[in-house]
Amino acid sequence: MKVEVIPQARTLIAKPASGGTARLHGGLSRYAIYLFLVLLILLSGVAAPAFLSGQNLSNLVLQTVPLAIVVIGQALVIMTGGLDLSVASVMATAAVAGTCFGTGIGAVITTLVVSLAIGGVTGLVNGLLVTKRQVSPFLATLASMIVLQGLRFAWTKGAPSGGLPPILRVVGAATWHGIPVNLFVLIVVAALACFLVHFTLLGRRFMITGGNPVTARLLGYRVDTIIIGSYVLSGLLAAIAGVVLGGYAEIVDNQVGRGFELDSIVAAVIGGVALSGGRGTIPGALAGAAVLMLAANAVLLLGLPIQFQIVLKGIVIVLAAACYVRR
Amino acid sequence: MSVTTIAPSPRAPARRIPEQVLRLGIVVILIAVIIVLGCVVSDRFGTMNNLLNVYEQSTDLALVALGQTLTILTGGIDLSVGSMISLLSVLTSGLINSNGDLVLPVCAGVLLLGMIIGLVNGIGIVVLRVHPLIVTLGTGAMLQGLALLYTMEPAGGVPDGFDFLAYGRVADISVGASIVLVVYLLASFLMRRTATGRHIYAIGDDRHAAVLLGLPVRRLTVLVYTLSGLLCAMTAIYLVARFGSGQPYAGANYTLASVTPVVVGGTMLSGGRGGVIGTLLGAYLIAILNDFLNFLHVSTEIQLVVQGLIIMLAVSAYHEGKKG
Amino acid sequence: MLSVSGIRKAFPGVQALAGVDLEVRAGEIHALVGENGAGKSTLTRIIAGVERPDAGEIRLNQEVVQWHGPAQAKAAGIHVIYQEFVLFPHLTVAENIFLGRMPHNRLGFIDHAQAERRSREILSRLGITMDVRRQVRLLSVADQQMVEIAKALVETPKVLILDEPTAVIAGREVDLLFDRLRRLQEAGVAIIYISHRLDEIFALCDRLTVIKDGQWIATRPVAGMTRDTLITLMVGRDLAHLFPAHERPPPAQPEIVLQAQDIHVGSRVRGCSLDLRAGVITGLAGMVGSGRSELAMAIFGGLPMERGAVTVGGHTFRRITPGQAIALGIGFVTEDRKGQGLAMLQTVGANISAANLDSVRRGIMRDGAREWQIAEEDIGSYQIACRGPGTLVSTMSGGNQQKVLIARWARACHRVLILDEPTRGVDVGARAEIYRIMRGLAARGIAILMISSELPEIVGMSDRVYVMREGSITGFLEKDAITEEAVVDLATHDRQAA
Repeated sequence: MKVEVIPQARTLIAKPASGGTARLHGGLSRYAIYLFLVLLILLSGVAAPAFLSGQNLSNLVLQTVPLAIVVIGQALVIMTGGLDLSVASVMATAAVAGTCFGTGIGAVITTLVVSLAIGGVTGLVNGLLVTKRQVSPFLATLASMIVLQGLRFAWTKGAPSGGLPPILRVVGAATWHGIPVNLFVLIVVAALACFLVHFTLLGRRFMITGGNPVTARLLGYRVDTIIIGSYVLSGLLAAIAGVVLGGYAEIVDNQVGRGFELDSIVAAVIGGVALSGGRGTIPGALAGAAVLMLAANAVLLLGLPIQFQIVLKGIVIVLAAACYVRR
Repeated sequence: MSVTTIAPSPRAPARRIPEQVLRLGIVVILIAVIIVLGCVVSDRFGTMNNLLNVYEQSTDLALVALGQTLTILTGGIDLSVGSMISLLSVLTSGLINSNGDLVLPVCAGVLLLGMIIGLVNGIGIVVLRVHPLIVTLGTGAMLQGLALLYTMEPAGGVPDGFDFLAYGRVADISVGASIVLVVYLLASFLMRRTATGRHIYAIGDDRHAAVLLGLPVRRLTVLVYTLSGLLCAMTAIYLVARFGSGQPYAGANYTLASVTPVVVGGTMLSGGRGGVIGTLLGAYLIAILNDFLNFLHVSTEIQLVVQGLIIMLAVSAYHEGKKG
Repeated sequence: MLSVSGIRKAFPGVQALAGVDLEVRAGEIHALVGENGAGKSTLTRIIAGVERPDAGEIRLNQEVVQWHGPAQAKAAGIHVIYQEFVLFPHLTVAENIFLGRMPHNRLGFIDHAQAERRSREILSRLGITMDVRRQVRLLSVADQQMVEIAKALVETPKVLILDEPTAVIAGREVDLLFDRLRRLQEAGVAIIYISHRLDEIFALCDRLTVIKDGQWIATRPVAGMTRDTLITLMVGRDLAHLFPAHERPPPAQPEIVLQAQDIHVGSRVRGCSLDLRAGVITGLAGMVGSGRSELAMAIFGGLPMERGAVTVGGHTFRRITPGQAIALGIGFVTEDRKGQGLAMLQTVGANISAANLDSVRRGIMRDGAREWQIAEEDIGSYQIACRGPGTLVSTMSGGNQQKVLIARWARACHRVLILDEPTRGVDVGARAEIYRIMRGLAARGIAILMISSELPEIVGMSDRVYVMREGSITGFLEKDAITEEAVVDLATHDRQAA
């Protein structure tokens, strides 16, 4: 194992955080996102009673789930001190791959295997670049995003290429007694992620590694493996999200998941995951995703032009940043 | 705020070639290799005409990437560039609306607006003390939304003759491309020969030390984002001149693409190392690579793949993560 | 020239300065002495405009001044050479020397040629020739220090503050530095000289001011003072009270727990051997930069050793990783709390359990309740001031952070505990607490290796002492042979002349 510890040629002058900010960071900020979420729900409900109708809520969940799944992976990567820009590309590639194997039961399995393989391999490459070649996460994942995009375009020749097998369309788009089926996928994934991060020893190793990789090395943690693992998980989750989103869309094209790379980062960060690594929660990140989607939904409810969705997203980001995201 | 440590290195053997020259060397050699290979593939590839043509194709990206270089040198990043270009391009063509009298005032206004948006970015980063990535993502989303609110389609138009910027010729290269060249040479000179330029490097190299030394860290941070805004405005006007109108998604691809020539040109995302000329060469490298692949009749999709691989290769070679 | 009075400054959890006065005359070299954590660095930073005082005033040439940032203090002629270098690793030597006041031509553009020429000139006055176009990161630490000093000589400052300038340089370079300082003194510069090396203070300074625990203690002329009176002023308290007695007498024939043989780490550690014994506190003394930390880090596996071996628990390692070391029961309390020790954004509980996650294992799960309980126990027994195991360590004071770090390793180690500068930046109350913890661990039979730059600490705590100088172990002292003089002698042998 390679341990890099730079002997300190000088002591760092500690710049103590002022007490007030630090306390805000510890206490209020942990719950700010939930407060934000409840506020948005209340506001939406008051502004437009239609918001609370089963139909609208069900639709909202259907649309939110893919982002939420991606956010979980993104949060894992950010917690270990990284960043994953390749998630959207993985989503689209996984979804496109799913259209190539026909419609039978066999096709479902093939689709899942191939999609997960795409996500896993991309994550592995990202992780190896970041750990073994010490490429910054931003660039490593940017590069694999571009490579995947190119491969996908080359494969599909740029044309929309049909839909996923019917069973997967059910997972992505159908409801069961008014409850979107894809919510079950999210619940399973989120529960597993929560368990991993918050209740296992491995989760603690993730956090310490993200918070201070030098310390983690000196604690004997397998830092490289942990970091690579987070990218692989992110890739796998993005692949699942891609299939779910592909099932939601009638026709899968090259643009499935477009914008999710940045949206997922934003959701995680406003959900309290520190961009510097080592801090954050899975429920918080999920709440971040919900806030983004609710804000977009509120625009529609208020009868504002749809373009306002994007403006509002920007406002949410800056507002959240101004309130409690300190670097 | 990160504090870098100067690793106490044992007396290293004197290195004759400065780091900067070495980095540029790699890019220049790669370009040369591609030109040589291109000449083997086709007689037309190596002609001055083609090489200049490739340069012209790289100029829009080069222009955005110049601003990006500055923000990255301070250790930041500007992810609002794409949205800025989109908004400013629709405003340019929409407001001019084919009225020749409005060309100058609108262009001046757009350049000013670009600077103001950049100024707001910079102030936001300094005041909120939030990572530039997040702040510029936020303002980027707002600007993209505003562009779409203004128009969902290609907006307005420009009078005949406006395309002079893109297609008019000075000697053998287009007006726009020559402007870009001049801007780059100027920027390179200023970065080397002004205190402000050196301070921008210093901030990215060790922000904490820059504060202790009393350098105007906050003011310079605002400055680089303002300049990035200005360069986005120039790019927007150039794109309108080239395509005849502005589009609300005109800039979307530039956000991440603008980072590529910067890092391929040897500027480190961690800040403090690199230079603007590297970025110009990086943009040229990408363009000539695509051109070469065109000559090979490789599809644009595979060109993307190759571009991604080049980024991976370049940044792995420079060893981004290790400071020193 | 410069006088400060009644300066107070508090950081969360620590009163760093509680009323300090200091007056420096033009043409005087004034020593500022005090133990680590006495507040010298904070005072320096306040005079330099980096920190703002909570109370008190600074007068420059009789006029009250208030700084809004370091640039102003600099413009007023105050130059500081910090202990941590203020250097930009990827800029050249010349640029580092002139940054912020680059010479320019009539058009306002930087004149690099002039900067380089003048840099060479200034460096040659310091007796050094180096390629001024090289990046600073490629220089040795000693050369980096000389560049830092050169920055002070570009323009003659009114007030020059040097914080431990000789920590990483030696011999001729020190002589040349002193020579320069005397000339600046003749030119009427007011110089504040901060150093742990008492010899230097006696050789160089006219007057000295002692501060302790953030308070002014005394200002005296150096002439007529003796080492002993100075040390009494600095320490100024009952040593026996600060350093607790052994809980039980160290074993007469202690078992050797760890043996390091002929360890080499680059040019920093050149063939060091030592052994550690159960229930005994072994001190590792020497100047900052003498290779102590690197040696300890190599034993722990944090730095690769090029030659040598570590024997512990019946195994001999030519390469050892931190994971193996921890598994063998070795703990390492780093000197760099923030950089190498704690995960600042994590809780007290998480940081304590980090080195010994097995203790909170339940299957693959983490036993959160157990972790909480452990942390609460440690908070109680080490008197860590915080709101509970869920407190973020970033919100705590340095002393309490240090206790968290020690608590972590006290739980994780069962053979050896290495502590690198265990009381750096720690206030006096926490300090006594840390000493008590160390004694307790030794009484449990753990072999302790304590690295320290503070002589009273070495003398007060160690049962046996190794002394390092320039990468080699130059001596070994035991029991009554451990005196400040003996340690200094071994640590600075070739410096006695200076």
